[in-house]
Amino acid sequence: MTPDGKDGALASAPVLLRLQGIEKRFGGVHALRSVDFDLRAGEVHALLGENGAGKSTLMNVVSGVIAPDRGSVELDGRPVRFASPRDAQAAGIATIFQELDLVPGLDVAANLFLGREPARFPGLLRTRSMARDAERLLAEVGVPLDVGRRVASLGMGQRQLLAIAKALAHAPRVLVMDEPTAALSTTEARNLFDTMRRLCSRGVGIIYISHRLEEVPQVADRVTVMRDGRVVGEERPDAPQGRLVQMLAGRPLNELFPPRAGSAGEELLRLDHARYVPRASPAGWQVPEDVSLVVRAGEVVGLAGIVGAGRTELLTCLYGEGPRGRWRGTIRVQGRAAALRGVAEARRAGLAFVTDDRRGAGLMLRQTVARNVVASILRRLSPAGFMSRRREGEAVQRAIRAFDVRPPRGELVVGNLSGGNQQKVVFARELLHEPRLLLLDEPTRGVDVGAKSEIYARLRELTARGLGVLVASSELPELSGLCDRIHVLRAGRTVAEFAAGADEAELLAAATGESVLEVAR
Amino acid sequence: MTPSDNTEAATPGGVPAQAERPRRDILAVVVRFQSLIGLALVLAGGIAFSPVRRGTLLFLAPDNVANIIRAVSETGIIALGMTFVIITGGIDLSVGALLGLSSVLTATLLVNGGWGVLPTLAAVLAAGTLFGMAQGVISTRFRLEAFIVTLAGLQIARGLALVISHNQYINISYGEGAGLAPQAFAVLGTRLFGNVVPVATLVFLALAVIATVLLNTTRFGRYVFAVGGNERASRLSGIPVGQVRIAVYGLTGFMSAAAGIVHAGQFSFGSPNDGAGYELTAIAAVVIGGTSLFGGAGTMVGTIAGSIMLGALANILQLNNISAALQLLATGAIIVLAAVLQAIVGRRDGSGR
Repeated sequence: MTPDGKDGALASAPVLLRLQGIEKRFGGVHALRSVDFDLRAGEVHALLGENGAGKSTLMNVVSGVIAPDRGSVELDGRPVRFASPRDAQAAGIATIFQELDLVPGLDVAANLFLGREPARFPGLLRTRSMARDAERLLAEVGVPLDVGRRVASLGMGQRQLLAIAKALAHAPRVLVMDEPTAALSTTEARNLFDTMRRLCSRGVGIIYISHRLEEVPQVADRVTVMRDGRVVGEERPDAPQGRLVQMLAGRPLNELFPPRAGSAGEELLRLDHARYVPRASPAGWQVPEDVSLVVRAGEVVGLAGIVGAGRTELLTCLYGEGPRGRWRGTIRVQGRAAALRGVAEARRAGLAFVTDDRRGAGLMLRQTVARNVVASILRRLSPAGFMSRRREGEAVQRAIRAFDVRPPRGELVVGNLSGGNQQKVVFARELLHEPRLLLLDEPTRGVDVGAKSEIYARLRELTARGLGVLVASSELPELSGLCDRIHVLRAGRTVAEFAAGADEAELLAAATGESVLEVAR
Repeated sequence: MTPSDNTEAATPGGVPAQAERPRRDILAVVVRFQSLIGLALVLAGGIAFSPVRRGTLLFLAPDNVANIIRAVSETGIIALGMTFVIITGGIDLSVGALLGLSSVLTATLLVNGGWGVLPTLAAVLAAGTLFGMAQGVISTRFRLEAFIVTLAGLQIARGLALVISHNQYINISYGEGAGLAPQAFAVLGTRLFGNVVPVATLVFLALAVIATVLLNTTRFGRYVFAVGGNERASRLSGIPVGQVRIAVYGLTGFMSAAAGIVHAGQFSFGSPNDGAGYELTAIAAVVIGGTSLFGGAGTMVGTIAGSIMLGALANILQLNNISAALQLLATGAIIVLAAVLQAIVGRRDGSGR
């Protein structure tokens, strides 16, 4: 998007929504401090902020979830006061929350009309007219979806688009989107941006909340940064990333990524034309077909690829957690041939794994930080089968300190920590086991910039001491900034290798199989 | 320290959401100790409404107290095992039927088989444990819901009991010679310490101590909590999830067999149809004790208190000649209350952020 051409037009567009002097306190926490914010018709206004900066609270005010203590909300120049999300919706403000309100077991049409199904007298659904209306609605939004498909069979990108279509059924003037791209691949995100632009051209104003700085110039017309409950400033979307990072973190971040180590040590993992042969391949599962790569001690090696390229599958199978089956081809771990059948064997070989599904597969959310961090070393903490309280306490303290988990209290329930701190707990748990090779899948998904840079720095400290890291990520800047080398996966095959600081357009081209020119369109 | 990238650290005093916390924490404490509080309330009610005979409260008379615990000893023993299963997020419906089968097996071996007491105990306990483990193996190997597998186990155990006993009571008479059980086994039906404390009560309390130690201080206990907290996270952390699951069902099998032996000892017969519905009483005790049916949280002390509370409640109602129907109503109300309290606190802990 070229902001230059649109600037004039947008500046004169009418203000749809204006917030002035919004204050909100939760007990002792001053969540919003005199916040001003406005949204014009036809613009995408990005709202950036770390976890806890107050952006979600502000959006909850906009969407009627909470009432502000002080300050005014104006819609089309008229002051409004929402008693509930329903009020806000009726007034033309639609919100798409991070956890999409879709029912996986129902089909697309049923989801679109959830809660307001057209029915005739005894309660029978008018399925045919529902399907027709659904098709019309989807076409309007430009979302090509089969209305009869079950939502469970849709990818995250399609679900996100469906959620938008659902929100648009109310013909809103203002659309609030909370981290819509958190689970999307680059291509899916691009589709989403296209849809957003189409909406803007029809006069809808969009408030766009995100962690991903690199998306801002692609999608936003204006950027507002929040920190500690305040608006710290407004920027043009083409402002340098470094400047935005500094505004977000409130401190000069010379570099988000720590310097690379330099020398690599012994070979920790070697795959030579390795492929995984499952007994039965689960649907939607891209088995590793032909993978060749090397990770040495002291190195961070990246795995790039679009969604469905088989990044997660490769890591999962390496960790022995894949569907039943076996590896073929050459696999060497620390120079020795390894079959990697099962988690126990992988762990004995010195592997550890941090999953991309932190809440689903990474943590015992309802248990304490302490219980979570020691889960990987219970055997070591219980020499004769009985837990040693002393060793356990020491291990917990060591882990919390090493990763700077905040607040540093082992007795807190993990589910109540911020995303960044939850991720630190997962890291701490895996590293207590003292692995040689760490497999990471989307290690900073849903993690704020501050925690991100801490995690990167900690990873580099560990590689300096001989750890090897294999990291899969859909965030190309992350791979390009963090890794010593990057392998590109496509349909389960390693198709290209790039050196440190690889060009993102070239990476993307290799991942999609398109030419660089097409990618840069 | 980087003070400003985290509002929690940056807030003066660093006390996030502190205002809301105290009230909620009181609730959390109530839930944590709900069964003990419930037990205290029931005991207080028992004392307040106890009939008085010859100047002493009947409810608190030593033999009455011992009786309360004796009455709950069988379901209590089962509830100990059930606590492990439920903390892993599973359920075991076969326990009552397994109690019946074990009582039949005990009587058959002692009376018809002419076995000694110790070989009989060992064989019955081993059989119960294996039966439970088999259910665990089937459920983990084929990824089946424990509900279905143990429902089938219930039928099979009951069927086996009927086959072995030819659908008849097997009376246990003591003495020397063929068709008579060794006198030593009769001790289970007696009372010790001045003829006050039933042996069955002592067996329950001893197993309760062992179960508490196993859950709270051993590696196995931690595995149980971890598996129930998040099975995939546990597996990724290197915890042998399958083995833990098989072990907890083996444990309920063991406890059911122990309860079956106590049953045979107390009543001097093995009966294939006994123990029906015990699984539900045991589950009720576990839930009242604060263990989450979703897995991952629970206490053994809670289960023990929950078991005794149900027994004390039944006792005080009986002492006052109040109908069994009212007992059921009261028990139901208590289960609902316990579950509601848990849900309120669980919502806070489970879905934060």
